[in-house]
Amino acid sequence: MSDYNDREILDGLRVLASEEPRQAPKHVETFLLSAFRRRARRRRLTAWVTAAGIGAIAAGIATLVWLAEPMLKRAPVSDRAVASAPAQADSAAEVKYAVIRTDEVASSFYPLPEADALPPLESAMVVRVQLPLASLQLMGFPVNDEAGADPVEADVLLGQDGLARGVRLIQ
Amino acid sequence: MSRFYSVFALAALAALCASGQPGPHRMGPPGPGPGDFAFMGGEFGFGKVVTGAPYSAQVTTQMTQTLADGTHIQRSMTASVARDSQGRSRREETMSAIGRLSANGAAPRTMVFIHDPVASMSYVLDPNAHTVHQMQLSAHGRGPGASANGGTPHAHPNAPAVTTEDLGTQVIAGVTTTGKRMTRTIAAGTEGNDRDIAVVTETWTASDLQVVVMSKTSDPRFGDRVYQLANITRAEPDPSLFTVPSGYTVEQGRPPRGPAPQ
Repeated sequence: MSDYNDREILDGLRVLASEEPRQAPKHVETFLLSAFRRRARRRRLTAWVTAAGIGAIAAGIATLVWLAEPMLKRAPVSDRAVASAPAQADSAAEVKYAVIRTDEVASSFYPLPEADALPPLESAMVVRVQLPLASLQLMGFPVNDEAGADPVEADVLLGQDGLARGVRLIQ
Repeated sequence: MSRFYSVFALAALAALCASGQPGPHRMGPPGPGPGDFAFMGGEFGFGKVVTGAPYSAQVTTQMTQTLADGTHIQRSMTASVARDSQGRSRREETMSAIGRLSANGAAPRTMVFIHDPVASMSYVLDPNAHTVHQMQLSAHGRGPGASANGGTPHAHPNAPAVTTEDLGTQVIAGVTTTGKRMTRTIAAGTEGNDRDIAVVTETWTASDLQVVVMSKTSDPRFGDRVYQLANITRAEPDPSLFTVPSGYTVEQGRPPRGPAPQ
């Protein structure tokens, strides 16, 4: 039974092999080619949409970084320049008045690590300094080395002993 | 597909350039120059208001630190302080450093801080520029945007264990003081330390003047600091010390906007 079936299959294969090569009908070829072209167009469209989306996200991140960076940057010193106003009615002291900028935004005072052990404040001063961002390392702040010489403006809180207790950044 | 990668690469490059290029809000040079920082000016001064106990004195703070390679660092600061019977106080200081930061510039900057709780005003005089920065104090008599309660504006969440002991009394600079020693122990592992760190602070306070006459802080991380008053005089200081001299240009200050420390 098995030998008979095997012979039948082999005979069938020989007949097929001896026949002329077969081609698909013309309408089938046309249909398949158009289907392949549609599929290729869909792939290109998907790639462009994906690229545009990634580009938009990258641009958004760059914009956020660009907008957030000024929070750690100081305003130009020239902005702080005082503009003298006419003398007020205090002729005895001949006092002149000046106006300074009022658009400053300050962070909270951040305590310095070494201030923990200092005696409590009984009097204090706040001084405005300009320093490279990297100098905050010397005050115990974890600032990246690559911050380098970018200047920032800061208020330093000093105690009665002249030692710094805290720092706040000014924009 | 190669076109896709080209577009992505251009977008990423644009993002990097946008974050790296100076924008209109960015700071440019020049920086402070040689030295760690540049003084721009005093903002305000404030303090505990004590009436009926006038004094004047010289203040000295010395800092010493020995680095791991044996290098010794020594710095000192001096100032003169005064307080009148009304509680007005004055501090004159020539600033050349803040802690381990040294100021740039050829000459140290002298500044005079006057705290006037009677007028609810704070003045910072710049004797060189003949300018005075004045600011209205809050109703509590201390400066805006700063905390006066305790040694630091914020408390650390992992506060070290603290033990306090009384040291009795002793006379320092002609004033009777009472001493207190506070030892703060930073437990091993808190800051990556393999053993406990003991930070010791001695404070000697004159109860009648309500001022710290001497304090010593020994911190293995940052070195030793000694603060001391000298030449203490209990006479009423010259009232002119607490007023703005004539001929000064007044800068009317206002505290920066922003969150106030707790």
